[in-house]
Formats: sequence, C-alpha cells, structure tokens
Amino acid sequence: MDQKFEGTPKAEIRLDGRKLSRGDVTNDWGLRLQWQIKRDGEVIATPPARADISYTHPDEAPGKYEVVLQMWKYVNYKKKDGEFIDSKFIDISEPVTYTI
Amino acid sequence: MLHIGNERVPLCSGVDRRSFLQAGAAGLAGLSLPTITQLEASGAVDYDKAKIKNCITLFLVGSPGHLDTWDMKPDAPDDIRGKFKPIDTNVSGIQICEHFPLMARMMDKVALVRSLHHKTGASHENGQRWMMTGHDFNANNPQPYIGSVISRIFGPKGNLPASIILPDKIGNTGTSTPHGQKAAYIGSAHEPFFLGGDPANSDFKVANLTPPEGQTDFRINARQNLLTQIDELQRRTETKTTRDFDTAYARAFNLLTSPETKKAFDVADEPDKVRDRYGRNTFGQSCLMARRLIENGTRFVTVNHFDTVFNLSCWDMHADGGSLDNTYSDYERSLCPQFDWAFTALVEDLEQRGMLEDTVITVLSEFGRTPKLNNRGGRDHYPSAWTNFFCGGGIQGGQVIGSTDKIGAAPHDRPILPPQILASIYTAMGIDPETTMMPGPGSRPIRFVDAEPIEELL
Repeated sequence: MDQKFEGTPKAEIRLDGRKLSRGDVTNDWGLRLQWQIKRDGEVIATPPARADISYTHPDEAPGKYEVVLQMWKYVNYKKKDGEFIDSKFIDISEPVTYTI
Repeated sequence: MLHIGNERVPLCSGVDRRSFLQAGAAGLAGLSLPTITQLEASGAVDYDKAKIKNCITLFLVGSPGHLDTWDMKPDAPDDIRGKFKPIDTNVSGIQICEHFPLMARMMDKVALVRSLHHKTGASHENGQRWMMTGHDFNANNPQPYIGSVISRIFGPKGNLPASIILPDKIGNTGTSTPHGQKAAYIGSAHEPFFLGGDPANSDFKVANLTPPEGQTDFRINARQNLLTQIDELQRRTETKTTRDFDTAYARAFNLLTSPETKKAFDVADEPDKVRDRYGRNTFGQSCLMARRLIENGTRFVTVNHFDTVFNLSCWDMHADGGSLDNTYSDYERSLCPQFDWAFTALVEDLEQRGMLEDTVITVLSEFGRTPKLNNRGGRDHYPSAWTNFFCGGGIQGGQVIGSTDKIGAAPHDRPILPPQILASIYTAMGIDPETTMMPGPGSRPIRFVDAEPIEELL
C-alpha cells in the first residue's frame, strides 16, 4: 500500500520587511515544507519551513526577490538519472516580493 | 456481503466463519490457558504495578539507515557519514538528523537505543520476526506477536480488540517467510485485528466496519441469531480451535454493532486542525487512529509504515535504479518529514490528553543499513547495528542507551538484542518475562521472550 495524500495543502504567507512568516498549512500532507526564494527570477535557496513559522533570508545582494511556500507532492518513487519524474514541489501559497 | 477489515463476508448464500476471525481477533482467553487471575495470583503479572497500560508501535518497514537518522557519524569519511547533517536537540550532547527538527525539540522524552543488533540473517523478515515476537523462527515453529500476547494476558477492555494493526498487514518484503504479526500458539482468538483500509482516503469513514447499503441492523441481528443456532449444532464436535472461532465471531458482531467501536475508527470525527497536525497521509492518519483506539480501550496498536518495500518510496534505501530505487531524496522530501510530523503529533496529542504517562510509543525497524554507501549512493541491509527508540510511558527520556563504533558498524558498548526490547515492554506492562509461562506447542510451557529488560529504560 503506497501512501495516500488527502486534499490539497494551502497556506498564507506574510512579509514584514524581509521577514517571512506563514500560517498553519491546511490539508497538510506532512511532507517537506520549504521556502522557495528567487532573485531576479532565479532560484537561489530553498530553506526548510517546517520547524519554524518565520524566516529571514540572509542574502542582501541587490535584486528583486520573490518567495513562495512549497510542499513536496509525492506521486510515485520513479526517478530518471536520480531525479524524480512525476513527484515534485508545488506552490501552496501566493508569492510575495521585495526588492533590495 | 459484509466487509469486516479487508475480508468480504458472504451472509446470504453461506457463512464464511474465517472471514469473521479478523474482526473478532482479540477475544476471551482460550479455556486451556491460564487466566489473568491465575497469572496475577502467581505473581507473574501485576497489572496494578504496570508503568505502562498501552503501547503504540510505529514499525518502520524497510528500515531507515541508522547513520542517516539517529546515530550520525559526522566525523566519518564521506562514503560513510552520508549526505545529511546532524542537529542539536533539547538534550545536551544528543544529536539527530537535520530532517527531524521537531523530534529534536522533544528529545528529553525519547530514549534512543543505539546498539541494537542481531545475527540471524539480513532479510526484512528476519528483522520483522525479531522485533514483533522477540524470536527468529521458521514457519514450522511460529512464535506469537507481542500484541497477541498482550491480548491473551489482559484481554480486551471493551468491544474493541486488545490488539490492532494499522493500516494493513505486511505483504511482500522479499521472501515468503513469516512476518511475526500472528498469534501462533496463542490461538486464533488473539490474532491482531488488521484494519485493511486506508484512513487517509477521503471516503474511508469506517467503511470497512459498516454494512453495505440495504443491510440493516435488523438483518445483521437476524443473521447473528442464525449463526448462534449453527454454532449450537457445532458444539457437539467442538475443539479448542472452534471455541476460538466462536470467540472471534462474537467479537466480530460486537465490532459491527457497537456505535462506540465504529466511532473509535472514525478519524473524520477529529477536527481538521488535528488531522492536519498528524499529516494528511496514510501514516499520519494511522497514528491518529492509533491514539483514538488506545483512548477507547485497545491496549496494543502497531502502525506499519508501509506494507511492502517494492515500487514505492520507503525506508529501504538501496538506490538500485529499479523497484527499490529509494534515495536520499526520498528521505529528505517524503520519509523523514512524514515521520517527524506524525511522530511528534502523536507525542504532543497523547501528552495533552494525559495519556502519555501510561502509553509508550516504540519506534522499531528490522535492521540498520550498511555503514558504507553502495556504488549507487544507497545503503543496503545491515543487522549488525541500528537504532530504535522509546517515548512516553514513564520511560526515562533524554538518554542514549548503547553506542556504535566510529563508523556505526557494530555495537561499541551495551549491545542490545531485539528480545530485550520486547522484554522491556512486557516488564513495563506488568508482565514478568522470567516467570510468565504459556503452554506452547504440545502444551510445553515456554516463555515469551528469553531476555532481560533494558534496565535504563524502566
């Protein structure tokens, strides 16, 4: 029996200066939860978001930052060249942006 | 047709007695065996002095690598220490894997046993038999599952079986040898009840214990009366086995007809916040159901985290590129977070309800994994050293019992064998493993486990 995952996870995130915070995740699958941080459209970090509800990204390089909360979506275990084929991270919040 | 557990029970065209056995697994004591009263009188069992009244076992089928989880070796060479980093916990000097951040905050409640080992073979089934029964054995000499022993000694508290396994029995894990989750000589009346369903399915709703549409309580009761008459006829040729079956039948009907029983299985009855906290997945919802079952009278629940190791993401990290292609990515994204989320929810929930004092959670697995990474970056079976742990139930937390050498290849001090884990649980539940004897095959008195409990835990 493979694990079944019920519902679709959602969460709200807020930005206060550069400090990110999140609310509880509804329909929480309990899988890896992470902040995806992009600078000028390029992913620069994916720190974990499970243990703490707040996070401030230390990077102060100039640019436009976009942050979204993501959760791992397990579809199956299959991989090609070590990378998952069907399973992937999905956005579970609206993005927030700030500029340095 | 009724569905009890995962069994289809034909009621209109015939009576399938075997189908009821699952639902009625935990019944009254077999007549030829000593009663709880006799055991208490002899001093072998003292329920009043038991530190633990209930046990929830989270059985990590496939087995996590000890070097990647709870016995990390950050100073070992690259091909041994692996990819993950250790983090501090709330107990000074104890570190665990970075992917268990929530567990790290409650390490003061956890006792890690880092020197487990056995020597009878490296198959999953060897380890399953050890951890579920305290023995390794072949199919001709089966030994009873610990939940069946608990059921046999203490019996059920109400209509719920004393011993339940969620969400399903262990299936194919490599060889066709026993998994150790059967009652064996204890008798079929004490077979664990297997849920045989997935509580994370949105349409679960105790469907496996609910008669299909059109099957009213009246019709069920009418059939019970018919069964009673058939049983009366059969008593003329009664054997111990048929008596066990009768007990199981009675238990099956109790399960079907008791609203309290059905409610205990109904995780949908929990607030969404609670269900979210456990994780909306099969393992998380099974852990939540385990809490509900204990709360409603079940004494021993095992949650099998996976029923197979093939073609799915599980702890069996061979990274083989085929049907066993679990890697560090599975651990990091699925397995460790899922376990961390559900385990800590269970601990918090039991504590908030005042149940953690007399309920122990044991987290068990079949073996460790090879200290040296294989050439694909995975780890293979390794029964020479691994870590399991206890939490709650008055167990002394915040401690590490035993250790392994510098590369996690063998116990360095305080080597612990699997039967000692079971002897510790029995002892904490008020059963003296030294003196409690049961008639085994041929009525020969035998002990459940031949081992000393781990004193540091108790």
